Amino acid sequence: MSATKIVFHDVSKFYGEVLGVNKVNLEVAPGLTGLVGPNGSGKSTLMHLMTGLLRPSRGEVSVLGVSPDSPEELFRLVGYCTQYDSFPNGSTGLSFLRFALSLNGYSKNEADERAWASLSRVGLTDAANRRIAGYSKGMRQRIKLAHAHCHDPQVLVLDEPLNGLDPMGRAEMIDLFTAFAKEGRHVIVSSHILHEVDVISDGVIMIHGGAIVAEGEIREVRGEITSHPIQVLIRCDQPHVVASRIFELEHVVEARLIEDEGLLVRTRDASDFFTNFNRIVIDTGVIVETVAPADESVHAVYDYLIGDGLGGGSA
Amino acid sequence: MTTSANLLRRRQVVTLAKHEIRRSLFSRRSLAVYLLVGMPLALMLLRALFMPGSMRADATHATTEFAEVFHFFLLRFVVFFANAMIFVRLFRGEILEKSLHYTLLAPLPRTVLVLGKYLGGVLSASVILVITTTLTYILVFLPHGSAGVQQLLSSSGIANLASYVLIVVLACFAYGALFMLAGLFFKNPMVPAILFLGWETLTPFLPTFLKVLSFVHYLVSFAPVPVSLGAFALLARPVPGWIALVALFVSSALLVYVASRVARRLEVTYSVD
Repeated sequence: MSATKIVFHDVSKFYGEVLGVNKVNLEVAPGLTGLVGPNGSGKSTLMHLMTGLLRPSRGEVSVLGVSPDSPEELFRLVGYCTQYDSFPNGSTGLSFLRFALSLNGYSKNEADERAWASLSRVGLTDAANRRIAGYSKGMRQRIKLAHAHCHDPQVLVLDEPLNGLDPMGRAEMIDLFTAFAKEGRHVIVSSHILHEVDVISDGVIMIHGGAIVAEGEIREVRGEITSHPIQVLIRCDQPHVVASRIFELEHVVEARLIEDEGLLVRTRDASDFFTNFNRIVIDTGVIVETVAPADESVHAVYDYLIGDGLGGGSA
Repeated sequence: MTTSANLLRRRQVVTLAKHEIRRSLFSRRSLAVYLLVGMPLALMLLRALFMPGSMRADATHATTEFAEVFHFFLLRFVVFFANAMIFVRLFRGEILEKSLHYTLLAPLPRTVLVLGKYLGGVLSASVILVITTTLTYILVFLPHGSAGVQQLLSSSGIANLASYVLIVVLACFAYGALFMLAGLFFKNPMVPAILFLGWETLTPFLPTFLKVLSFVHYLVSFAPVPVSLGAFALLARPVPGWIALVALFVSSALLVYVASRVARRLEVTYSVD
């Protein structure tokens, strides 16, 4: 049981005869981790298992060394923003947070102080005393986020947290998650908006049909997919010169000039390619503007692993 | 457990109980309970308004009349269903509202969650039903004018009321524990509730060894005025008060314990529920 990681050991979850997740083995380190997968892939099941809202049919889960069977210890460490867009009847933003903080053991004054601080952090101070039932979708999403982090947890589990937020709100929330992760906490974010996961995540967990298909840093995961050559986009002043030299390399399967974009190279050996590319640049004296991977994105990797199975929504 | 942990658990139980009291007494859903408890009051009010003059003068039957109303209507119908409505909702209501996960995500043992909710339910149900019983009691005596008031305020009148209040509070503990458990177990707990009502109603006609499996058998042992249960009732020796008290508390505690065991394995699967 690691005291610094979230660990899934051979975890399976069945809903009757329906498979939720199957034989999941995971170790999630601190930082911002993206959880991606299409509708029904098991993202929410995984998050529910992490937070004890579901119990594994087989295997064990531990969060920083604590079992989800001990909610009194677990929820000092964990805040969970679920996908459910529902709230206790009649609650206002403030009363909703106060209740949660009181259950955390804070005194009335402390609970008040923390509730206001959380409301301010998600930009809901003005709506604090309004009923949540009258909130917009974006405001409801914000109050759920405030609920998840109001007790200052070490682990934030966020199921589609950016749903319903406007671009400004998304940017603010992403800043918030990033700040949390930089403090050495775990932030686990599920999203079907892949470029967002790509931008904010230190690592990803890709899930499909209840099974983990890949995990780790995107670059590492991409590097392990040998069936698809790695794509590199080069912008330089003489792309045709570079193209002719690059073609001499055995592992390069394609070098294509794309108008206004640059030279797109597909290679089966990225490290050898970069070694040789440096030599070509020195030999030919071309001026290189950028060299960037063209398919080290979550979307590309997911596409290679699963096919284009990503839809909207969550599991 | 350390003193601070004890203090925390106590604070959590109080927070949950207060939350449940607010939900049970002041939410829109409590309207159904208020309509139910309004029924005996409305009936007694109508009785008071349309009581013939000859009956008004005679207050001697008021004590027996209330005893019958209490046994056959208040206890077996109003108290039973009001408890069912309040306690079934403690968990099932939040599951239907899809908001149970917020309390499950709090750092508290599930036993504390069950205890807090149960306590909130008992207090809410007791407040509503004690007031209903007291007002119904008053409305039975008031139409008889000064003789009725005199009887009401006499030591026996007040002692009788205290006994009925005790029965109602004990019923809240016992039925409450049962219905809270039913709310955790069944998707539609009203079906087992109605079946249990059938069992409670049949109790007078059952042999003693089966009577002991009902709550009403123990509750009526505190009744100050006996009532006739009909020609087919199988009479049993009344249970001594202390045995009834122990039986009710032990069975309530057992049911709460089972509920807390069930709650420990509770999962959030709203789409299935």
